[in-house]
Amino acid sequence: MYNDTSENEARIRRNWNVLIFLTGAFILFLVILFQLFSLQYIHYEENFQRSENNRLRRIELIADRGYIYDRNGNVLVRNRPSYQIALQALEMPKKKADRDSVFRRLLDIRDSTGTRLFDSLSLDTAFQRIRWVKTRPVRILEDATMEQVAVIEEHSTELPGVSVIIESRREYPYGTLASHVLGYTSEISEEQLKLPEYATYSQGDRIGQKGLEQEYDKEFRGTNGLKLVEVNASGREVRTLSDVGALIEPKPGLHMVSTIDLKLQKVAEAAIPDTARGALVAIDPRNGEILAMVSSPRLDPNIFSLKRRERNKGWAHVALDTLRPLNNRAIAGIYPPASVFKLVTAGAGLENGIISETKYYPRSCIGGYQYGARFQKCWGVHGNLNVVHALRLSCDVYFYQAGLEIDMARINEFARRFGYGEKLLGVDIPGERAGWLPDSASFNQRNKRLGWRWARGLILNLAIGQGQMVTPLQQAVFVGSLATNKGVYRPHFMKELRDAQGNVVRRFEPEIIRSGTMKPETHRVLMNAMDSVVNHPGGTGKRGAVPGIRVGGKTGSGEWKKGQKTHAWFASVAPLDDPQIAVAVVLEAAGGGGSMAAPIARKVMMAFFGKEEDK
Amino acid sequence: MSSGRFLDKSLKFDWFFIGVTIALMTCGVSLVYSATVNEEIVVYDSLWFRQIIYFVSGIAIAVGLIFVKIDWLKRAAVPSYVIALVMLVFVLFFAGDVKGAGRWIDLKIIKLQPSEFAKIAYLIIISYWLSKHPVSLFKLKSFAVPLGLFIVPFALVLKQPDLSTALVFTAITLVGFFFAGLTFTDMFLILSPVLSVLFSHSQSMVFQVLWGVLICLVVLSVIRRHLSKKLSGVIIATNILAGYASTMVWNMLAPHQQKRVNTFLDPMSDPLGDGYQVLQSLTAIGSGGVGGKGFGNGSQTNLSFLPEEHTDFIFSVLGEQFGFVGCAAVLGLFALFLWRASSICKTNDDPFVTLLTMGACTIFLFHITVNIAMTIGLMPVTGLPLPFLSYGGSFALVCMFLVGLLMCLRYQGSK
Repeated sequence: MYNDTSENEARIRRNWNVLIFLTGAFILFLVILFQLFSLQYIHYEENFQRSENNRLRRIELIADRGYIYDRNGNVLVRNRPSYQIALQALEMPKKKADRDSVFRRLLDIRDSTGTRLFDSLSLDTAFQRIRWVKTRPVRILEDATMEQVAVIEEHSTELPGVSVIIESRREYPYGTLASHVLGYTSEISEEQLKLPEYATYSQGDRIGQKGLEQEYDKEFRGTNGLKLVEVNASGREVRTLSDVGALIEPKPGLHMVSTIDLKLQKVAEAAIPDTARGALVAIDPRNGEILAMVSSPRLDPNIFSLKRRERNKGWAHVALDTLRPLNNRAIAGIYPPASVFKLVTAGAGLENGIISETKYYPRSCIGGYQYGARFQKCWGVHGNLNVVHALRLSCDVYFYQAGLEIDMARINEFARRFGYGEKLLGVDIPGERAGWLPDSASFNQRNKRLGWRWARGLILNLAIGQGQMVTPLQQAVFVGSLATNKGVYRPHFMKELRDAQGNVVRRFEPEIIRSGTMKPETHRVLMNAMDSVVNHPGGTGKRGAVPGIRVGGKTGSGEWKKGQKTHAWFASVAPLDDPQIAVAVVLEAAGGGGSMAAPIARKVMMAFFGKEEDK
Repeated sequence: MSSGRFLDKSLKFDWFFIGVTIALMTCGVSLVYSATVNEEIVVYDSLWFRQIIYFVSGIAIAVGLIFVKIDWLKRAAVPSYVIALVMLVFVLFFAGDVKGAGRWIDLKIIKLQPSEFAKIAYLIIISYWLSKHPVSLFKLKSFAVPLGLFIVPFALVLKQPDLSTALVFTAITLVGFFFAGLTFTDMFLILSPVLSVLFSHSQSMVFQVLWGVLICLVVLSVIRRHLSKKLSGVIIATNILAGYASTMVWNMLAPHQQKRVNTFLDPMSDPLGDGYQVLQSLTAIGSGGVGGKGFGNGSQTNLSFLPEEHTDFIFSVLGEQFGFVGCAAVLGLFALFLWRASSICKTNDDPFVTLLTMGACTIFLFHITVNIAMTIGLMPVTGLPLPFLSYGGSFALVCMFLVGLLMCLRYQGSK
């Protein structure tokens, strides 16, 4: 309590202070009232005029989206101008009758062939929309032709509120080529706007979807500019207020030089018909650069740049297709690795000293292998083999016995070393799916619902690659790093990012993501085996051979459903002494890997090494 | 005005005060309605409907607060202050990557803004301390604890960065000092260095003369108050230093930094950013004229020229649709509100009640003046909302909490 003054004095002082406070507040309110008076009474006329007629508009200047080039400088993705005819709510006549006359005039406009530019239904929807979409233009004709633009411009005086907007849209000059890698652009969706990673985006932005367009969207889009313009009553720009610093130039986005080789990609695309379901990955194992990637069936990303109706038609076509053309099978398709995985089983055995080049198993291949009460079949009758021969002929019986002896833990460890497994490879396009290497724990956990339990007999299947899940990208990475023996590099598409002037802004630094090395002896034996698969007259992959180049490879025929043809696999790498390219091909339900997939890999190899196809 | 039945000091409820508050809330909901009404959105999802929900829950809080004993408030002072600080530290370090700056704690159901909570917690603790320990310029040690209490939340909020909220804390503190022993002259002396900076910054003759007058006044006041020689010297020196240093520091700033300060002080120099909003706001208010364009007829606001018309720029909606008359009426309501609120301290002799009441009034007055001054171009653009009128859940609840606090002081304090 205040002791120095009496109660009453304190009360009087307090009341004075409250009075001072209230007086202060009163003075502040008077100042505000004075300013309001000045605005609303003294300067009323000019403010009213400004609000009625001439208005300032803040117009966003969209930055040019960066292009995508292939590794040799060919344009894969570029921009094209696109003319939009739109309604601007702010410039529309205020009276309903006037608006209706604009509506009727628009409906009457015909081009030289006499067809109407607009139909009444979509025009009506647009006129409804501008009642609440005030700040953004509402498109009534997307992607208009030059002729349509000319017709509208001709009538511009009698069409207040109707304007032509020039936008830039994405163009993919090679159509479906590498469509899964490049992705496409479209207007940002409501769902995306709510996500935190799209916090800096706003409604109406065109953003990259899928592929490189999505992954590097922030780099491609640049920074939008802004300008302040004064418009007259019918919405035409009178002047740009750049003299008062009201202009921010847009900063164009970065261009990307990708690792894709257009020539190789074209060959690869031609080798896999669009009717086939499958994928192809060609990668440089020395640094992880992906030279070509095909996923079939394809989609044409150009449809997303078209006008709404055609876009919807195209979208419905790809989205409802049972062959799922939207899936990038090269990174998101998971298949059993099939006999290609025998390289892993063999490698694990050699690395751990359990098998060697001179080791033969007691049971020879008589067309199958008796395991307990079960007779596990082999695809042929091969007799007694060592590891190199067993790989060349892809004999299952040898690997049944080897697998049982080596055990799953060692096999999976060796597989993980070279990129297989549940961990993503981290390729720089979205949508990559993880593989699966089953062992007793993960098998039981995964099949808990079905009530399946791990049994030792499962090793028989797993040793020959039936039961694991891998992506085509993993297969390519695997054979490539197996041949280099120098580590697994992160597969990637981005080589360089360049600014508009062509200066390199960012470069992808090769990055080792798995150890990917083995003993020289193991390497030697595996290389011999891969060599003989392709170059030995009896090898299963002899159709993958390239004259003059030492190609190594491994075929695979993955069983996936009884009574169906197998998935055809072929993974190859060349030249074996100094690997420069690794190719993995999968064709769904196409048959044997040696006959179906190997010729496709061969075509890519031929193109890579500049060999002519002899007819 | 005769002391009618409603203004009777012995009444436990100030019905006049409650009436003014409800009138202000009604204005707020109708303005939010007219600024955001949209055919696309269903009623229960619309902003004006949400605003009603915020106010209703706010009223529930206020009614609940009436039954809180004043002693309980005193006891809650320290814990709530500590909780507020912990929350401020939390947002500073753990929430902050997402858009909207690091000011929110997301509790899934509602988003909490710790700086709003801190305003109330700080108000209670500073009132509690100052009611026990009055301050005096002759006993400089008496400032140590209150300044310590002040500087921690101030710095944390400033770091967010939220300058305008940090200034709210400053205003609470200054008014607290005023009601805890400092005289009018003392307040002038404390604020004089700020005035020095303001006056000496401009090179114009008028301001130079004004600054001279200010220094003379400072010297006179110091002599009149018989302050110690040391303190007098410090105050005069600070004034002179502030005057010269501000110019020197200004000249040392890089041009782009000068530009940034200039755009803050004068938004018109950046017509693409804040200036655009102020320009549109001025046009909207000015085009309202004396009588306004009528409810729902604002061409500026209805055409969505103002990006934040329903939050920070709600006053321009009022100005356009109801003109000078409407603005004056709302200002009058605010004045009545402050008058009835401040009269609560006359019902009780406890200095804690006085300090709490006047602190709450300060929070309201600061928000009202800064926000309106911003929309009519008298002050830089800051993010302070207008009490009862601006859309926003967190702030609506804070306002209603303060109203509840005031009602509680009246109800519990009167015999």
